[in-house]
Amino acid sequence: MSSTTLTQKQALAFATPAFIALLPFLGACLYILRFSLSAEKGSIDGVSLQAYRDLMTPFFGRSVWLTLKLAFVASAVVMLLAVPLAFLLTSLRSAAARRLLTVTILLPMILNLLVQAYGWILLLGPSGALNTLLKTLGLIDRPLFLLFNETGVLLGLIQTSLPLAVFPIVGAVRAVSPEHLEAASSLGAGHWRILRDVTLPLLRPPLVGAASIVFAFNASAFAIPLLLGGRRVQMMGVAIRDMISPLFNWSGAAAAGTVLILLTVLVLVVSAWLVRITTQKTGG
Amino acid sequence: MRIALLPTEAGGSYRLTILLLASLGVLVSALPVLVVTIMSFSASDTSGFPPEGYSLRWYGDVARMFLEEDTSSAQSVVDSTLTSLLIAVIVMGISTAVCVPLAYALARGQRRVRAGMELLFTLPLVFPLVMLGIAFLLIAESLALDLGLWRIAIPHVVLVLPFVLRNCLSAMNGISVEIEEAAISLGASPLRAIWDVVVPLMRAGILAGLIFALIISFNEFTITFFMYTIDVSTLPIWMYSRTVSSLDPSTLALSVFIIAADVLLIVLVDRLIAGKGNLF
Amino acid sequence: MTYSMTRRSLLKTSAGAAAALAAPSILSAGDMMFAGKEVRLLTWSDNTGLAVLENIAKPFEEMTGAKVIADRTGSTSEMVAKLRAAGDKPQYDLITLAGVGAVELAADGLLSQPDLNQLPNLADVDPRFRTGADGHGIGYLLWTGGLIYNTKTFKEPPKSYAEMWDAAHSGRLFLPPSTWTDALDTIYATDRMMGGDGTNAEAAFAKLADLRQNLLTFGENPAQLSELFRSDALDIGGVYAPAFFADELANPEKSNMGATYDVEEGFFADLMYTIMPKSKPGADDVVHAFMNYTLDPKVQGVMAEAVLNGPINQKAEMSEAAKASPFIVKPEQLNEKAIVHDKSFIADVREQWITQYQQTLS
Repeated sequence: MSSTTLTQKQALAFATPAFIALLPFLGACLYILRFSLSAEKGSIDGVSLQAYRDLMTPFFGRSVWLTLKLAFVASAVVMLLAVPLAFLLTSLRSAAARRLLTVTILLPMILNLLVQAYGWILLLGPSGALNTLLKTLGLIDRPLFLLFNETGVLLGLIQTSLPLAVFPIVGAVRAVSPEHLEAASSLGAGHWRILRDVTLPLLRPPLVGAASIVFAFNASAFAIPLLLGGRRVQMMGVAIRDMISPLFNWSGAAAAGTVLILLTVLVLVVSAWLVRITTQKTGG
Repeated sequence: MRIALLPTEAGGSYRLTILLLASLGVLVSALPVLVVTIMSFSASDTSGFPPEGYSLRWYGDVARMFLEEDTSSAQSVVDSTLTSLLIAVIVMGISTAVCVPLAYALARGQRRVRAGMELLFTLPLVFPLVMLGIAFLLIAESLALDLGLWRIAIPHVVLVLPFVLRNCLSAMNGISVEIEEAAISLGASPLRAIWDVVVPLMRAGILAGLIFALIISFNEFTITFFMYTIDVSTLPIWMYSRTVSSLDPSTLALSVFIIAADVLLIVLVDRLIAGKGNLF
Repeated sequence: MTYSMTRRSLLKTSAGAAAALAAPSILSAGDMMFAGKEVRLLTWSDNTGLAVLENIAKPFEEMTGAKVIADRTGSTSEMVAKLRAAGDKPQYDLITLAGVGAVELAADGLLSQPDLNQLPNLADVDPRFRTGADGHGIGYLLWTGGLIYNTKTFKEPPKSYAEMWDAAHSGRLFLPPSTWTDALDTIYATDRMMGGDGTNAEAAFAKLADLRQNLLTFGENPAQLSELFRSDALDIGGVYAPAFFADELANPEKSNMGATYDVEEGFFADLMYTIMPKSKPGADDVVHAFMNYTLDPKVQGVMAEAVLNGPINQKAEMSEAAKASPFIVKPEQLNEKAIVHDKSFIADVREQWITQYQQTLS
């Protein structure tokens, strides 16, 4: 063992502060889990599985399906946009251009969601700029409905989670050693081939990592379906909010939250596992 | 040179596709902000895009909000902004201080442990925020302690941990063990080697983490909505009570102002940590 | 049930009114009797909350020297959630909220009963609207809901909720979100439209399902609705409160918005309350004085005009414009057309209706 490999004790010492910071969260998790098993709806009292049993309705099932579907599609599109953005960001030579692009990508995290939704309505609403333009050009008779449905929610999810994907990928792209690429290039491989055979395989773990984060983030979204889905797109986050606030079914919300978390964690674990076995294969 | 990732010239369909997708990404990120910014310069008080004339009158309103005493909310916009800033700085400091050593331990530790830990520290991201908000509120209320600012700061630290850790970890990826070993062979103690060699190399990742922590904490709404009190409230909460009543151009002007404040903070952190012309 | 309760408390209030007559005007201008004292108020985040600050809190401060610290965030159900979580350590002295919220919090035992003897203005309040929630809520203003329509589409105000089903409004309809009381009103109105008494939910839901083609969005956010009307993307919607759109309704050429209560099936009125949590942080006298001041004839008149809520003080001083305004419902207009829900019935069906409404329409 060289001196730079950590002993278990050292590793633990290095990790302890982060655990302490995470402690309130773990407390909250246990609290939620306990609440989901409560026999009462508004307080923790007794033990019962009733809250989970109450979730077994076709409506909740559809909500789960819709949540997973939208989160998945949004993650796929985000990755399709994030990788080129990361390539662009790392290849810009001018520092000013790099700063500008960085800030632009971060914008969706900064601006109040209500105000952003307002921006989208002005652009894509039934009488927004786009529909007006298409109508004037005579391309459509009736407005295109791009908001207040699944399309609107997808757009919002993509927009808000894009920064989450771009920056980890930028970090990973920086770490790709140029020698690999130059070697491939000197062998006469075209850009698409290098991308397929060299860059993407090298980037696979961070790419899957970024996609998982985006997926998890989107699966728990609630403000976007509320504002851009016109409340018509019943994702689980919205269902949970409804249970908390007007229905005061806190144990039900805790149960639904637990189900959502378990599902997301399952997806994360499976994708991490897939990365492991595929990289082992290509590595071997 | 990154020529192979995005060729500066030639490259045909590859270059075109990458650029096209990247511009689509930029468009999706920036369009609503652009519209809102344009609208905030509108000369009339009714909305409608694009506006018929332009003026700075709404920015005058915003300036007045900050200068005059404001009775429309529990806390004035100045107090809320200061509280938000203070919380964001605390959150930045704590989250980075705990994540750098953890990232180091994970990068140098066992792979299996690392996967598990990464997952554990991703969890705050997975939780529906409303649920987390009410849980934190119920716990805080049952503690019978006056937590003051920490009511909001502690949940914020939790929220930013996944981002800060990810960034630190990806920074650690590129740092090989050999560099440290070289430092140690030159007589540095292992801790010294980490501090003098590894941490500076992680700078870009640390910086990215700091900026994420800053932005997320400064703009966080959902959990803060449950946790704020009359005495400790933040700018997004103040902003919320405005936007619900109306989306007049002065609210938009205020949004643009907040974006400007965020950008300023980002640049400031960038300068402080990275020195001149690094990373961003 | 609500009414018998009101009658009982009426006896008490008359005694209070007599006492008040003996000691004229507890509150007089320039009397800084509460200097240094604080009132912590929780109210709505929308324009109605803003109006509370401008028209109630500010003059109260000027008159009494007390400081009103207002938290202006949340809807009624969010207020209830916060107060429930805080339990016996509330940070507020007073909360203004919808009737349902007061009833729920009172049932949880979180509220104290205000001393009616310290509320002389109650004597002038329409007896039906003095107290509620088992004496824990003091009447405040009337929240009224009807139809909101596009003045470009409708030359004449629509006369029936049935208009919402018209295929001409395909993709141009909004409905209240399931989480609002207005959604329950919509279900009720639908059943009335079908000839029922408002309580046959099954028939109403079957009919509501047909609205899916027309529905553009749920009106979660009034500012968003206002923008959609302005850009001529919506035709009609309801049951919804004109209160959100005081400015827009005054200016239909710009906003395209109109509202009407004159609907065949009736309109909806809900009494809002001021409540006082147990173990509140503030002093009893200043908190009661504030509560009393919300019922002041001038205040009631100004508030009615500002946010189109119905005044409950029969002596409310309103401008001629406000008196003539079709959007402000006066107590004497609460005839057979006004539907005031039986709170116990609503409490029984609420959960079921909210869930089914969401499932039927989304």
